[in-house]
Amino acid sequence: MATLFVDLFGKTLRNPVMNASGTLGYGREIDPLWSVDTLGAYVTKGLSLKPHHGNPPPRVWEEGRGMLNSIGLQNVGLKRFFAEHFPLFRKRNTPIVVNFFGFTDEEYIECAASIEPDPLIVALEINLSCPNVTKGGICMGKEARGVFSIIKRVKETTPIPVIAKLTPEVADIVEIAQAAVSAGADGITLINTMPGAAIDLGTGRMAFRGGLSGPALKPIALKAVADVSRAVPVPVIGAGGIMDHEDAIRFLMAGARAIQVGTATFIDPFAIPKILAGLAAFMDEHGLSRLSALAGATHD
Amino acid sequence: MYDMEGVIRENLLVCQDFYRCKIELARPMGKVIPGQFIMLKIPSAEVFLRRPFSIYDCGKQTVTILYKAVGKGTRALTSAGRKERVMVLGPLGHGFRVHQGYTPVLVAGGIGIAGLHLLWKQVKRKACFFYGCSTEQEVPLLGGIDFNTRGRTATGTRQTCGDLSSEHGQPDTPVIEPRVCTLDGSTGFCGNVVQLLKSSLSLVGEKPYVYACGPQPMFASLKALLAEKEVPCQVLVEERMACGLGLCFGCVKKTLDEAEPYKRACVEGPVFDLWQLSL
Ligand SMILES: Cc1cc2nc3c(=O)[nH]c(=O)nc-3n(C[C@H](O)[C@H](O)[C@H](O)COP(=O)(O)OP(=O)(O)OC[C@H]3O[C@@H](n4cnc5c(N)ncnc54)[C@H](O)[C@@H]3O)c2cc1C
Ligand SMILES: Cc1cc2nc3c(=O)[nH]c(=O)nc-3n(C[C@H](O)[C@H](O)[C@H](O)COP(=O)(O)O)c2cc1C
Ligand code: FES
Repeated sequence: MATLFVDLFGKTLRNPVMNASGTLGYGREIDPLWSVDTLGAYVTKGLSLKPHHGNPPPRVWEEGRGMLNSIGLQNVGLKRFFAEHFPLFRKRNTPIVVNFFGFTDEEYIECAASIEPDPLIVALEINLSCPNVTKGGICMGKEARGVFSIIKRVKETTPIPVIAKLTPEVADIVEIAQAAVSAGADGITLINTMPGAAIDLGTGRMAFRGGLSGPALKPIALKAVADVSRAVPVPVIGAGGIMDHEDAIRFLMAGARAIQVGTATFIDPFAIPKILAGLAAFMDEHGLSRLSALAGATHD
Repeated sequence: MYDMEGVIRENLLVCQDFYRCKIELARPMGKVIPGQFIMLKIPSAEVFLRRPFSIYDCGKQTVTILYKAVGKGTRALTSAGRKERVMVLGPLGHGFRVHQGYTPVLVAGGIGIAGLHLLWKQVKRKACFFYGCSTEQEVPLLGGIDFNTRGRTATGTRQTCGDLSSEHGQPDTPVIEPRVCTLDGSTGFCGNVVQLLKSSLSLVGEKPYVYACGPQPMFASLKALLAEKEVPCQVLVEERMACGLGLCFGCVKKTLDEAEPYKRACVEGPVFDLWQLSL
């Protein structure tokens, strides 16, 4: 039997499969269908210092082989997350990655400072796809210098490992990833949703704007993972349109140390357990004993 | 709640644009509360996300939906043939909560009848039914509804799903006959269902409790009508959904809760107290 264990930031995870932030509620919603301890680690919904109401509906839109969303980062805030939702992960002995965001550099720092280290916290995942309100609303993650300064200050604030989660809407994602790593990032998650829009044929109007996720995003994500994992010495976590175990294996082959599954769970709530089963079967079938045998296959 | 394999057993045109689809499930769905829904994986490569549909009816190992072809997904469903395989996730969401001591008044607009049919089947006591649609061509949508309630007893043929009422064994006598209206006046009262309800509200008995399902604008006029007498009312809302399980926060409705105004229609709803919604 192959083992799916994976080392990440000095911890050993049961397996390399996580949920993507914002796609598994607070964990308790899926727990009746399959226990959250199925996951290598649970990634929290994007959290902020204070609760956020989010955007008015409609918030989701189907578009081709994917979907657009504009949830607007609705969340209960870090404090309530740890009071109300973290106990489930403690009970299930499930490691978590805390995804958070801010609208100013200071908010990021305050978020990081407010999170107490805990043996179950594997890392902080910084969502860099937010508009920076102090810089005219330009997305935080689009500029290498801005990314460098946020990551550096967060690293100075917390002893917990820090992952930079990057937006694909940039000219050169390798440059952004290198800036994050030189500021001290312990890992890189690739990629967040890609901004998109839908047009109503009847009215000729813009029917919806939001972040694109799902299979339509997969080739973009695979390229980002392949390029970045070659260029930086830290672990890369891949996300974007992973629908089944074959997709998951492609991301591992491209150089991802772990993967995240988002939109697939909306279509099949058992996508994550199925991917895990498929992954183990694939390893056995190919006589592979550890995941590292897959890693970086495409780098040669 | 389970994710179940299913096979389409019938998928019939009821009237222009409206279809009834009966699915046989690989396993029993468990207890269903009227107002709950399923997320259906439509058997078409063109359709990516599942679509939510109210549970119109259910048997031990069957579920029936009544749907209107409005877009890509529902149109694709119309061409799904018998024996086609589907996935059915459900039952989902918070259904109607029936309160004792009131006269249930069911108010359905258009396809909203799909969400109220099961409730009508299960309120084993005096109840009123108001139905509004566009034209008489849509009246066949009522075809599946058994209005022959006089003398019907609780031991009838209606215990397929969960049992709601505590008032067993008592013959059901509607307070007034079910009433129908059409927007064009081709059948019944001419107007919308809220206007119809207004014209008959005095007839429905002492303590009405309204259960409504229909298009969004209907809820605002319902609120205006019921506000004066503070008639209690639950409404089944529709919103675009991605997961149906509370995972994505995509399906929210705005409520009057200031601390957390946006509630997920798929878990906190789809049935909400009308007086808690911000319309
Ligand atoms: C809890 C719940 C129960 C429902 N029950 C039923 C039912 O019993 N019968 C039935 O016919 N329909 C029901 N609906 C609505 C149904 O889900 C939508 O009509 C369907 O998803 C549209 O998919 P489509 O691909 O055909 O349309 P799309 O191509 O996605 O959209 C076409 C049109 O439908 C509208 N629309 C899309 N999704 C929804 C939605 N979720 N609610 C309302 N309008 C929407 C769009 O605004 C657009 O104008 C229910 C919705 C919810 C949330
Ligand atoms: C409904 C929804 C909500 C999301 N919320 C967040 C979030 O709060 N923070 C974040 O960093 N990414 C968020 N994402 C992005 C996902 O984590 C992921 O990067 C992206 O969806 C690509 O993966 P997928 O194609 O498997 O969904 C969200 C995505 C979706 C679809
Ligand atoms: S549809 Fe995903 S939370 Fe309701």
